[in-house]
Amino acid sequence: MSRDILVSFEGVVKSFGNFIAVQKLDFEIKKGEFLAIMGSSGCGKTTTLRMLAGLEAPTKGVIRLSGKPINDLPTWSRDTPMVWQSLALFPFLNVIENVEFALKMRGVGKAERRRRAEQWLDRMQITEFADRNISQLSGGQRQRVALARSLVVEPEILLLDEPLSALDAALKVRMQSVLKNLQRETGITFVYVTHSQSEAFSMADRVVIMSRGKIEQIGTPQEIYRTPRTRFVADFLGSSNLFSGQVRSGTSGFELDTPMGPLRLAAPAASGESATLTVLDTQTHLSTTAPAGNVNFVPVKVIGEEFVGATATVYLETAQGQEIRVQKGHDELAGLPLAIGQPLYAWWNPEDGHLVRES
Amino acid sequence: MRRPISLYGLTFSLPLLIWQVLFFVFPLLFLVALSFWTVKNFVMSPDFDAVNWTTMYDRAVFWQAYGTTLALAAAASVLTSVLAFPASYAIAFKMSETTRRWAVFLMVIPFFTSYLVRVYSWQIFLSDNGIINVILGGIGLGPYQMLNTVGATMIGYLTLAFPLVVLLQLFSLVFIDRTLIEAAHNMRCGRLRTVFEVIIPSARTGLVIAALFCFILAFGDFVSPVYLGGGEPTTLSILITDTTKSGQQWPRAAVIALTMIGTLMVVAFAAVKFAYKGKSK
Repeated sequence: MSRDILVSFEGVVKSFGNFIAVQKLDFEIKKGEFLAIMGSSGCGKTTTLRMLAGLEAPTKGVIRLSGKPINDLPTWSRDTPMVWQSLALFPFLNVIENVEFALKMRGVGKAERRRRAEQWLDRMQITEFADRNISQLSGGQRQRVALARSLVVEPEILLLDEPLSALDAALKVRMQSVLKNLQRETGITFVYVTHSQSEAFSMADRVVIMSRGKIEQIGTPQEIYRTPRTRFVADFLGSSNLFSGQVRSGTSGFELDTPMGPLRLAAPAASGESATLTVLDTQTHLSTTAPAGNVNFVPVKVIGEEFVGATATVYLETAQGQEIRVQKGHDELAGLPLAIGQPLYAWWNPEDGHLVRES
Repeated sequence: MRRPISLYGLTFSLPLLIWQVLFFVFPLLFLVALSFWTVKNFVMSPDFDAVNWTTMYDRAVFWQAYGTTLALAAAASVLTSVLAFPASYAIAFKMSETTRRWAVFLMVIPFFTSYLVRVYSWQIFLSDNGIINVILGGIGLGPYQMLNTVGATMIGYLTLAFPLVVLLQLFSLVFIDRTLIEAAHNMRCGRLRTVFEVIIPSARTGLVIAALFCFILAFGDFVSPVYLGGGEPTTLSILITDTTKSGQQWPRAAVIALTMIGTLMVVAFAAVKFAYKGKSK
């Protein structure tokens, strides 16, 4: 076992009665990394976090923390502080008493725990609220109290269960950078559960994508974005155009046989296999005439357009009824006729296509 | 700006208002008036004389009874709260939804039977030749005097208040946010410590209100101190009956009753204030 592995899940299964929440998890969390576990609700991400925190016991398998199995360790005997979605701040204690709580439970003396709590209040810039009630704080301030409360014991790992989901968009972005900086400065391993792709991709060093209790892919945000491993991942990220078909070796290399005709593949693949070609919407281009040369193109019609700040998304439809999205800067779209119903060609370089297995 | 009183609101609140005026405010005012009446040759006559107040407040017996009643009621609310808490804790946190419903139902059943009947049945258990002494005698112990003791009075108070206290405690415990308990566990707070550090502070309002109800019930109770405690030591409720029986001293009884009402108001106000301390709206 490598030294820089902090946590490992080995064949971990969790079922509640007949419902299998998590099926056979095998992955590792590195020391000092910011790991995001992402998936839609009910995918098992929170159950995974709760098993790590000791709030649920695995049905099968082993979870190790620093090499030692922790399956039978109750949550109060592990050092795995968690930040709840609801934050779970104690309403009957004021801000500083909340932050001191974990130290008090560890038997730290009064003066010492006040000193350490004040340090964290200062660090989270909430010193002025020390004597306030929790109910008198704003959402962002509560967030900071919750973080201070968990970090005051200077743990090796911090678990976060969608802590930002209740905040408004602007505050969310600000708290993301607070979290990221905090993680970088302290070197504490963060395990962050979220359903939000923007949160996961903007903060995490590595992202775990889960679906129906299984891991679909683990990798850096770049890897996952550029080379999704399964159709599910590409679909879930929603930033690629997907073409399903069957691989065959054609006259000039490998091709994917799709309802829109054969599409060229840049890399060899197993003939006869069902597969999905994914092309990022930023790497899909538009032209008024059929492009020449070694490119893939599909005739399409414009069905809509949407402005998203600096870029625009053009929605198109093939003759077979499949939707295709193209995302471009405004100047790149300047010369194109984009009236609804306008026939165009969507095209991309075969090198920009990425083949994933079906399902 | 004052809101105009709507006819709709009035229609629904009027019966309650009339009821309160007729059966609470009016008798209370009458009681106040009564306490200033005088009694001569076993005949009451309307008057405005503070003699009843000075007579009662000058008597050591009155203050003894007052102290006894206060102490018994306080002891009953502490004892009942402490004994009821494990029960309500178990019902709130250790039972499934279905079992919990059954437990609540079982807690309501005692109210089906008159409190007086339940106290009489305790006599069968506690008397010198009662069930408990017969059983103890079978193994060569006793007999012990259990009836006509303060302990028996306490058992009576428990009979009166226990189910209600459990229900009141339960309603505050089931509304505790479970993630607070998990969060405490997660921060190295063990099960027992969590009860004192998180559960009791979270449920404080309900626990204090439950204890207050027990205090109110025990403070005014006449049945247990007489039929289980044997009238010793004298409580204020016993003193009221004694006073009315001896020479038609209804005005003096009114003084005792008013003192009791005043005490309960102070205690209730203090308890509610404590229960909601630190809670902003």
